[in-house]
Amino acid sequence: MPITDTIPMTGIRWDDVLFIVLAAILIGSALLVVTLRDIIRCGLALTSSFAALAGIYVLLGNPLVAATQVLVYIGAVSVLLLFAIMLTQTKNAPTRLAFQTQAWAAAVAAAVIAIVIAVTVTATTWPSSSQRLWTSTSDIATMLFGTYVLPFEAVSVLLTAAVVGGIFLAHREADRPGEDQV
Amino acid sequence: MSGSLDSYLVLSGLLFAIGSFGFLARRNAISMLMSIELMVNAVNLSVVAFGAFVPKLQTHAAVIALIVIAVAAAEATVGLAIVIAIYRNKKTPLVDEYDSMSQ
Amino acid sequence: MINLAPLILLFPLLGFVLTGLFGRSFPREAHRFAMGAVVASWVVASFVAAAALTHGFGFGDHGTGITLWRWIPAIGFTADVGLFVDSLTACLLLVVTTIGMLVHVYSLGYMEHDPGRWRFFAYLNLFMFSMLLLVLADNFLLVFAGWELVGLCSYLLIGFWYPRRSAAVAAKKAFLVNRVGDMGFALGIMAIWTQLGTLNMQDVFAKFGAVPHEWQIAIAALLFCGAVGKSAQFPLHVWLPDAMEGPTPVSALIHAATMVNAGVYLIARANPIFGHASEVMVVVAAIGIFTAILAASIAFTQTDIKRVLAYSTLSQLGYMFASLGVGAWTAAIFHLMTHGFFKGLLFLDSGSVIHAVGDEQDMRKMGGLWRKIPITYTTMLIGAVAISGVPPLAGFFSKDEVLGGAFKNGFLWVWAIGFVVAGMTAFYMFRLIGMTFWGPSNVDPEVEPHIHESPPTMTRPLILLAIPTALLGLAIGFPPETGLLHQWLSPVFAGTIAAGGHTEAAYNFFGIDGALAIATTALVAVAIVAAWRLFGVEIPVLRLRAEPRLEEVEAASQAPVLAQLYRGSAAKWWFDDLNDLLFVRIGGRVANAAWWFDRTVVDGTVNGIGTVTTGVGIGLRRVQTGRVQNYALGIAFGLIAMAVGYLVIVR
Repeated sequence: MPITDTIPMTGIRWDDVLFIVLAAILIGSALLVVTLRDIIRCGLALTSSFAALAGIYVLLGNPLVAATQVLVYIGAVSVLLLFAIMLTQTKNAPTRLAFQTQAWAAAVAAAVIAIVIAVTVTATTWPSSSQRLWTSTSDIATMLFGTYVLPFEAVSVLLTAAVVGGIFLAHREADRPGEDQV
Repeated sequence: MSGSLDSYLVLSGLLFAIGSFGFLARRNAISMLMSIELMVNAVNLSVVAFGAFVPKLQTHAAVIALIVIAVAAAEATVGLAIVIAIYRNKKTPLVDEYDSMSQ
Repeated sequence: MINLAPLILLFPLLGFVLTGLFGRSFPREAHRFAMGAVVASWVVASFVAAAALTHGFGFGDHGTGITLWRWIPAIGFTADVGLFVDSLTACLLLVVTTIGMLVHVYSLGYMEHDPGRWRFFAYLNLFMFSMLLLVLADNFLLVFAGWELVGLCSYLLIGFWYPRRSAAVAAKKAFLVNRVGDMGFALGIMAIWTQLGTLNMQDVFAKFGAVPHEWQIAIAALLFCGAVGKSAQFPLHVWLPDAMEGPTPVSALIHAATMVNAGVYLIARANPIFGHASEVMVVVAAIGIFTAILAASIAFTQTDIKRVLAYSTLSQLGYMFASLGVGAWTAAIFHLMTHGFFKGLLFLDSGSVIHAVGDEQDMRKMGGLWRKIPITYTTMLIGAVAISGVPPLAGFFSKDEVLGGAFKNGFLWVWAIGFVVAGMTAFYMFRLIGMTFWGPSNVDPEVEPHIHESPPTMTRPLILLAIPTALLGLAIGFPPETGLLHQWLSPVFAGTIAAGGHTEAAYNFFGIDGALAIATTALVAVAIVAAWRLFGVEIPVLRLRAEPRLEEVEAASQAPVLAQLYRGSAAKWWFDDLNDLLFVRIGGRVANAAWWFDRTVVDGTVNGIGTVTTGVGIGLRRVQTGRVQNYALGIAFGLIAMAVGYLVIVR
């Protein structure tokens, strides 16, 4: 039986429902990321926000980016974050304050940023079509290895540099007798 | 709602605001990096949303989004490596203590 | 002949430079070059003066000048270095160079044992140069330069023994009081410039009639201010008695015979200016005669031999100014010349006395010296007789002309006060002679065996000075009002005398002039006899002998009214105390207040700016926390501000 555009009993479209659910998960996880005291829980909330974002990408008709999002962010960045959290844990982390003294000013700033963006966006008439478009992967490939080949190669160099740099920065110095080690 | 560009952009803005609050308000350096990831993702979302609704930008937006993801990953790597190196020096991940450049 | 005039200046200047530069290395020989320079200058000056006085050799009736070079070639203001010589200049040249030379010779003996001898001769030469520059100058700016230089030399020489605090203080006092007068003089020169556009004296005199009358009075008054300072008239007389701290040759040269005459010379030279401002002339006469009686009254009670002579100088200078003020110009110059010689003689004599009694200057510790230092005694007696105005010595003729001029030009009050002062002068001079040379000896017993006459280098100038003291009056002032001096100086003053409307009546011995002369001589005789009675006299040749009756002096000083006068006189009429109160104490408070203001308000403001800046810096430094999150918050707020600003303002 084919899936209808809207939910049977009501006139609500599936797309809208999906959007609202995914958006809720996204915003909720984001809020958890910035407010939870335990960092590991923050990391997990971050992962869930990445997942919700991937879903929104699919909703926007871009499955390739969604797949990349899952692979890179959830697969690599989140794991990296969790490793880093474990390497930098201190004993009394959960008991002390999670927020700076400037948290209130930061909240005000964030609220104002959100309001300004919302107001600006809704007040602008965008030259957009009313339909979501579906991007085909082959078009992306053609463009990526065609017009944007130079940025592509540059990004590969960047990734190599990042890997080497990361190893170098995080490398523990060789053991020397009598030196205090972390 | 899901059919209009505005809602995605507002969503992106909201996510960006949350990310900036986290960056300005949290004490742990790793939390700050996580907030940065949120902000980057918010931007990415707005790019992809533009790609979905503006015909001329369709494929361009996708390419940009891919590259941004790659760069953000690289940046997360290096950033975390730095945080680990500082942690070894200062013995704490709290950015309050990273004030040796103060007057 | 006028071309020789620069040499008169050149020799002392060279003497100063060479003695000053090399004197320290050759202390035993230092005096030779200075001596030679002064003698050479005297020789040249004598020639030039003789030529000028006889109106020959191109000098003519009104003198000639020579311009040496352009001194200030600015646009809108030019001044030259030039010299002008006429009869008036010649008279001054003779006085200055002759007395200067004799004082130099005297100093050879007087300063023989002083280690700073080379300095002394260098300063003396500088003084000669400055005084001659002042006398020879042809424009007011050059006169001012010489004026200031003699003030400087006065300071250097009064404070010659600078380790002694009283000497240093006296030098400073002289310089500062002079400065007050110099300020008036400078303002006068500026006034002349603004009104006439030239500072050349002959040009100024020619054009002076065109100046508005208020300016004429102002210029004359300001020039008189300068003269008051330099010639120590009231109220700027306070420096001259203290100037006696300097060595006696200095007192003789500078403060008796030459520098203090600069004021008289200035007014005499500027007689056309004063001729147009008769109101100022009255002031000149008033101040002059007041100074005369003030100084004479103080001289009655002084016990330091040099102070008596200093007050005497003040008194005689007062006479000269009074003479100028009443319009008896030639009489003033005549008195200037005679006074130079006999006052110089008296001072050098006092130096000889002081030297004889071992540097004691208090007259109460002298007495009975006439047998022991005969040459000094004789010359000093001649000098005292001259200054008292006993005929036929020089003082009689010059003083008589001054008083006669005052009477005949209608200034009866000037004549009356001058008449009284003549008597006072005789009295205190013979008091000095009596206390020093006659009566019993009050000399310190330890010093008594060592009393000796001065060496020839000191006594020869005394003898040489005694000659003009005795004879100068007869030589150039007799017959009165038609003598040589009048012939020489009449062209200089003729214009002013004619403009004043006074016609000089011929001297009439059997009329008013004779009466005045006899009256004055009678008063002087009475005063001398009174002095002899109180202070003793011993002139065996005239069989005059009397013991001093000091108890009568004591009794007089205790009598009710006289005691007050005595105290006042001894306290110099409290002028020094008044100056001290006004300028030192009150002036000191004002200066302290100004210093407080400068420290607290002015410096406070400047320092305050620095402190505020530092404070602001400390405050702003707190922005730099070193924490990235604080900076990021700043960025966020900035971003919001820009966005909101854009939205609100642009859209």
